[in-house]
Amino acid sequence: MDYFVNVTITGLTQGMIYAAFALALVLIWRSTRIVNFAQGSMAAATTFIALSLIQAGASYWVALVVALASGFVLGAIVERVIIRPVEGGPELNAVIVTLGLFVAIQAAIAIIFGSSFQSFPTPFGVRGFEIGETTIPLTPTSLYVIGAVLVTMALLVALFRFTRVGLAMRASAFSQEVARLLGVKVGGMLTLGWGLAAVVGSLSGLLIAGGTFVYPAYMDSLIVFGFVAAIIGGLDSPVGAIVGGLILGLALSYVSGYAPRGSALVTISALVILIGVLLVRPGGLFSSTTARRA
Amino acid sequence: MTVVAAATVASTLAACGGSDEGGGSSGGGENEASDTGVTETSIKLGAHYPLTGVAAPGYSEIPTGVKAYFDCLNKEGGVYDRTVEFIYKDDAYNPAQTSQVTNELVLNDEIFAMMSGLGTPTHSAVVDFLNDEGVPDLFVSSGSLMWGDDPETYPMSFGWQTDYESEGKIIGEYIANEFPDAKVGLFLQDDDFGEDGEAGIRQYIDDQIVAAERYTPGNTNVGPQIAALKAAGADFVVGFNVPSYTALSQLTALQLGYQPQWFYSNVGSDPNLVGGLLNRFSEGKVTDAALLDGALTTGYLPTVDMTDNPWITEFQRIWQECGGEGELTNYRVYGMSQAYTMTQALQAAGQNPTREGLVEAVEAVGGEWEGPVFAPFRYSEDSHMGTSGMTIERIVGNGSEEVQGVRVTDIGDAEIEEFDGEAATPPANAIPEEEAYEG
Repeated sequence: MDYFVNVTITGLTQGMIYAAFALALVLIWRSTRIVNFAQGSMAAATTFIALSLIQAGASYWVALVVALASGFVLGAIVERVIIRPVEGGPELNAVIVTLGLFVAIQAAIAIIFGSSFQSFPTPFGVRGFEIGETTIPLTPTSLYVIGAVLVTMALLVALFRFTRVGLAMRASAFSQEVARLLGVKVGGMLTLGWGLAAVVGSLSGLLIAGGTFVYPAYMDSLIVFGFVAAIIGGLDSPVGAIVGGLILGLALSYVSGYAPRGSALVTISALVILIGVLLVRPGGLFSSTTARRA
Repeated sequence: MTVVAAATVASTLAACGGSDEGGGSSGGGENEASDTGVTETSIKLGAHYPLTGVAAPGYSEIPTGVKAYFDCLNKEGGVYDRTVEFIYKDDAYNPAQTSQVTNELVLNDEIFAMMSGLGTPTHSAVVDFLNDEGVPDLFVSSGSLMWGDDPETYPMSFGWQTDYESEGKIIGEYIANEFPDAKVGLFLQDDDFGEDGEAGIRQYIDDQIVAAERYTPGNTNVGPQIAALKAAGADFVVGFNVPSYTALSQLTALQLGYQPQWFYSNVGSDPNLVGGLLNRFSEGKVTDAALLDGALTTGYLPTVDMTDNPWITEFQRIWQECGGEGELTNYRVYGMSQAYTMTQALQAAGQNPTREGLVEAVEAVGGEWEGPVFAPFRYSEDSHMGTSGMTIERIVGNGSEEVQGVRVTDIGDAEIEEFDGEAATPPANAIPEEEAYEG
């Protein structure tokens, strides 16, 4: 019984981490209709910025704010300088550019910050809570991750649902021409969308890194799971990203914990789950009606 | 994205006086370009290492140790007045890249021999190629059995460090003697490394093992595996894992409030590296900074904390005179020790070495070489296995104290015996003086 609880809680906290990354993908998809493969290495870049600040003596929270701000700047620059020239062309072009960016940024991190393993601190503890005699693998740090992801999700829902900016961003992403005719500054909205997505991406990078180890490619395995989580959730819905992340986290934890040689089956299971979900609901679990999709 | 780091040692020849200290017995002949990679004034060696990626921490320091040793050796005249050039390339611990860089080394750089190529999955990808091409493949940096247990299949390949099966046997015997009531859990890398170690350890304590959990390198969530060890009631966990997974297993155990006696095999136990990774969490969060304190491990080489060991003194000097940035680390000691054995091999291969002659010399006299390793190598015509002996140590702070002296064994059902030899002391300048093997 203890074992089941432990595996379940491990899966839930891991799922929240996938969800954090999936949220960033959802945000950029909603605001620009581009799947950004570079998200992972952009997040890694800002995490390393935060790490060097912390190593220089800054507090975690200062480093967090600086990382989020530099994430925004990085996202906006990437959109203006690299994505803008291929925007409006075939959708695939922009996606391929983000793939190239993914590799380039990762290499740049290795050159600037080195390729060694480094531990990334967390402002909260890494010991599990004790309930009576037993310890459950839920730590103050995992509560912080869960809280931060839920707050971010709520903010995103509010942004898109209740603000004019959110509406304008969705309009720009959905149909640039119509939005422009209606007086939306489409260029600015796209830049804003990339900037905000990079902020959420940076946050996810920091949350994933907290209390564990980073190296330039540390986001790689999470990118795969983050994508799967986002697509299970429909790529369009912040709530879907969370649910997708939790489903994936739990499923993978059970596979790892109960299947023989489960650890080796984790990645393949993620893809099986993905195929299963897409066969049953091609748009993902939380997709909006197909008529709305471009 | 691949950062190819190729370093060659200084090509200036510092032979003074023309005397031939390097080989001990030169007979006064002329140096000739006797084989691929050998000129009258130089000899070229190659290697592959993970300089980037998940396996880079620690391991990327090994070639800097090798290079420092050869640089100092070259200052003293090299081997038979030849400078040793050491070319190493990054494979990122990716077998596809290992094949690529090995092709470059053999076909492009035309190395005389491969030495110290690192990693079981990586080197497996090139071992056939090297043997087909007739390139000596000396002192592979991996404890897998496959480099040494079948010289007929791989006549050019030689292991160097204690193989994982022998290590497992020595660990198993120790647990059977000292912890006969322990319920033992195994934490294993899901490949040859974990399998060989498990096979060795099960020879002695099969009935004490209550769980064997495997992790896949790259999957950083080991929560379910550690939870399973805890659920099985294991109060003694033996890990055959790489250093980053030592750190991950410690962090996960912390989350679970799981406190068994830990025993990490040699590969995963470097206290400086793992402690450095875990230290950051000590800032008010993990009260006992040295999480590894009290864990057990094995040793087959002196470590940097043994400051009164004469080999470490010499290696410190070499690192200061010929090394690069940073401190001497256990990984650099490992690299220097391999370079020492390589120097012995080159000396034994004689004044004008050939690839075949090098392999013959290691088979014939390699079993007699002394050096920094605690116990002799097993090299012969029938075995290309490296050293066979290990101590058991307890990690204390950033160092360790010996809890069991050197014991030696071999693969299969060979007995484990106490090593009765003396620890070797380094010759002048830590440069060996092996006789040329004449055949």
